[in-house]
Amino acid sequence: MTTAVDKTGRIKLDRVSPELYEAMIALNNAAAKDLDPDLAELIKIRASQMNHCAFCLDMHTADARKRGISEQKIALLPAWEEAGGIFSEQEQAALALTEEMTDLTRRHVSDEVYARAAEAFSERELGQVIAMALTINAWNRIGVTTRKPLPKR
Amino acid sequence: MTQTLETQNSVERLKLYKTTPELYDAMMALGNAAGKGIAAELAELIKMRASQMNHCAFCLDMHTRDARKRGVSEQKLHVLAAWEEAAGLFTEREQAALALTEAITDLGNGHVADDVYARAAAVFTDQELGQVIAMAVTINAWNRINVTVRTQPTRR
Repeated sequence: MTTAVDKTGRIKLDRVSPELYEAMIALNNAAAKDLDPDLAELIKIRASQMNHCAFCLDMHTADARKRGISEQKIALLPAWEEAGGIFSEQEQAALALTEEMTDLTRRHVSDEVYARAAEAFSERELGQVIAMALTINAWNRIGVTTRKPLPKR
Repeated sequence: MTQTLETQNSVERLKLYKTTPELYDAMMALGNAAGKGIAAELAELIKMRASQMNHCAFCLDMHTRDARKRGVSEQKLHVLAAWEEAAGLFTEREQAALALTEAITDLGNGHVADDVYARAAAVFTDQELGQVIAMAVTINAWNRINVTVRTQPTRR
């Protein structure tokens, strides 16, 4: 019987539980609807940085570059609060919310951060920002736990 | 008559199930996939522990109640937050699953270390291990929904 363990020694979740993977893809699709795709990449990169998911970080920085997001913007993401006008108010509001949602064991989603996002986005968009942030957090957890190997670039 | 506890915060939060119903559909499917082939009691312990760590009141309330219904003892429910210090109260499988859940939950502060992973791999089949991981991933997602929109527990 072939095992689902790859050479890094951890299970391949897509082989062990294809149903889970299908559900994750569906979650991803639901989260991506009506959300600016560039903003979606910034959310995904920031969460992946915080969660130390190498696979996700590699994938989404490559995707961001393909979408035309600048090297400068990608490089400055961990310091977005200090990056002046490089990030729009919408982007900043989304990133602040993403950070609080990501670091949930130590923080909560404060009124201030929530209100800032509610101000910057319509209800529908805000729902999608929240959905994308929680989805990338789920992918990060899969990627880190199963140590998904990076593709060669 | 049930009543929801009043929200403490001054900022009204989104009714996400109204604005984003597709998200809820997807989360239900995720939960169903994650719940297969995993003992119900173990699933509830995983969900409770993650919800404690993520400070999700709604989830914690719901899963504590569910755990009790599944026959998890009051003592176990009470000491869950200190499971490592409760030698013998939790089986090795439960402890391994809880250790893994904690690592998966507290991801920003660490990673899923080889020894934590190996401990779980030693007591679970690949299939079961996949389900434990899936359950931890799923509850973390639910926590992020319910903390963000401050879903309130029902007063009992």
